[in-house]
Amino acid sequence: MSSVQSIIDALCEKALHPDRTVAESCKQAGKEAVGFYLYAPEELAYAAGFLPVGIWGGSTEIKLADRYLQGFCCSIMRADIEYGMRGTYNRLRAVMLPTVCDTLKCICENWKVAVPQVPIIPVVYPQNRTLPAGEEYLREEFSRVRRELEDLAGQSVSDAELEAAFAVYEAWREAMRAFTKVASTHPQTVHAKARHLIIKAGSFMDKAEHTREMIQLTRLLAELPEETCAVRAVATGLVGEPLGVLDSLRENDVAIVADDLAQESRQFRVPARAEGDALSKMVWRIADQKGCPFLYEPEKTRGQKLIDLVKENKADAVITLQMKFCDPDEFDYPIYKAELEAAGIPLLYLEVEQQMDSFGQIGTRIQSLAEMLL
Amino acid sequence: MYLGIDIGSSSSKAALLDDGKKILGTKIVNLGTGTKGVYEALENLYAEAGITRADVRYTVVTGYGRLLYKDADRQITEITCHARGMHFLMPQVRTVVDIGGQDSKVIRLDEDGTVRNFVMNEKCAAGTGRFLEVMARVLGCSIGELAVLAAQATEDVAISSVCTVFAESEVISQLSQGAHPNDVACGALRAVAKRVAGLCGRVGMEPEVAMSGGVALNATMVRILGEELGCDVTPAPDCQAVGAIGAALLAREFYRKANPVETA
Repeated sequence: MSSVQSIIDALCEKALHPDRTVAESCKQAGKEAVGFYLYAPEELAYAAGFLPVGIWGGSTEIKLADRYLQGFCCSIMRADIEYGMRGTYNRLRAVMLPTVCDTLKCICENWKVAVPQVPIIPVVYPQNRTLPAGEEYLREEFSRVRRELEDLAGQSVSDAELEAAFAVYEAWREAMRAFTKVASTHPQTVHAKARHLIIKAGSFMDKAEHTREMIQLTRLLAELPEETCAVRAVATGLVGEPLGVLDSLRENDVAIVADDLAQESRQFRVPARAEGDALSKMVWRIADQKGCPFLYEPEKTRGQKLIDLVKENKADAVITLQMKFCDPDEFDYPIYKAELEAAGIPLLYLEVEQQMDSFGQIGTRIQSLAEMLL
Repeated sequence: MYLGIDIGSSSSKAALLDDGKKILGTKIVNLGTGTKGVYEALENLYAEAGITRADVRYTVVTGYGRLLYKDADRQITEITCHARGMHFLMPQVRTVVDIGGQDSKVIRLDEDGTVRNFVMNEKCAAGTGRFLEVMARVLGCSIGELAVLAAQATEDVAISSVCTVFAESEVISQLSQGAHPNDVACGALRAVAKRVAGLCGRVGMEPEVAMSGGVALNATMVRILGEELGCDVTPAPDCQAVGAIGAALLAREFYRKANPVETA
């Protein structure tokens, strides 16, 4: 029987080696892979017989991508274009990219020229996602994506297959919510880096397989005595990277006990509504997502969501992992900063990019936060 | 006795404290991390106090080079040490500005001297001592002389580039167009002051505001920062040693906590 540590080590290893993990997952499932970034209707690709895999950039030297995205653009998309041009993504039958920010709006056109060997399926989310018209539009948009995936697969997707795929994803989301809850009481075993990699591994595995691992890990973790740490923090931002930041957190005994990260909890924190067919549930999951800077929300509830996460998880502080040049995140920062200050919650702002390799100053800031709270 | 060491990017500072929190001495050597500066500072400090290393009960090291120095009992960040040192020297201060060689920081203090909030500049050199070093080099003077030149300025030459490398080109261009070096020097100081004022805004500045670090010796810089903030800015006494004094205070605190009977 697997131990907690052996499951964690195996999942971390999978997250650290996406290329190998995706190859193994495709072989095991007998599927071909389709890439996705941020919000994408993964269930549609899964139902069409593909293995949806995350393309979340990486810590790589940017040489080719400068032709399309200069140094002042999002480092994740720079890395994605770089990998695409270098041929790293040649295994992918297509990529699904949402047009939720200025960089992504442009990149959909650039991708066609820069990475012609990997077809792109753009996904255009509505601004007014909570209005009936917005929901109707998104249903149509998902139907278009479904047709493109059917063409790619050379076979149609039945409603029953889509319902089954949605059920796989809903089970995964439930398992992930259960895991993050138990992980928050075991901040030593599931330290900041491990937590990130365990969740990220799901981006490169068949969701059914990842769900099985997560259910087992959560059950075993729950049997262990609860643990303490110096600082319990909530992370917010795009991704919990680069890994050097997470190493600094661990060195200073700062744990991430909950998150509001696009790559992590925002992928699974919204449960599906009970009613409707799978397509409607997919539409409503986007409509019901609150406090995400990539989805239009005039009420701006992110600050309150962070305050709630701090209270629910008995956290001491919030850590902003601000991906350099991520405009949507930057626009939100002053709003939730003021709300957190009013609530008396310490906030540490760390500007990061995937290609950074010096963590001295970030380490000083994290250590200062820990000293401040002790 | 308790020893505090602050190893910065461009200088090394050391402070010695007795059981009654009396500062027995401070030493500053203008050689930073990776040099023999720290050992020179300690040698001078021990010699002046008439003690040896064996007389030191506990050592705390701080600063940019703190992780490389292996002879201390504990390492603490410069944020915590500057806060502690400043509260000891000037308890009425609520906002501390430290313009270091590699980075600048602004620290908000509570009434009891604990850190309520802090911000540091991002990793580029804008708003740091390095920016001033580059400007001094372009003007063919030392950092100390930069302050003297700026004090004689009749007007500011605006330096709009945030990036230090671009600002260097901008200053060369201004000089070639006939701008007076005094006015350029004043513009350089104001450029740094504007960046630091931005940090003060982010941290939620409250008076009194005081400066620690070597740049606080530059009276023109202190004046210009006050103008940008719209309030008085006071240089701390023994401003270069504030971090080291804070480290020594923490060394005393840690030792007494670990040895309550001996120090009762």
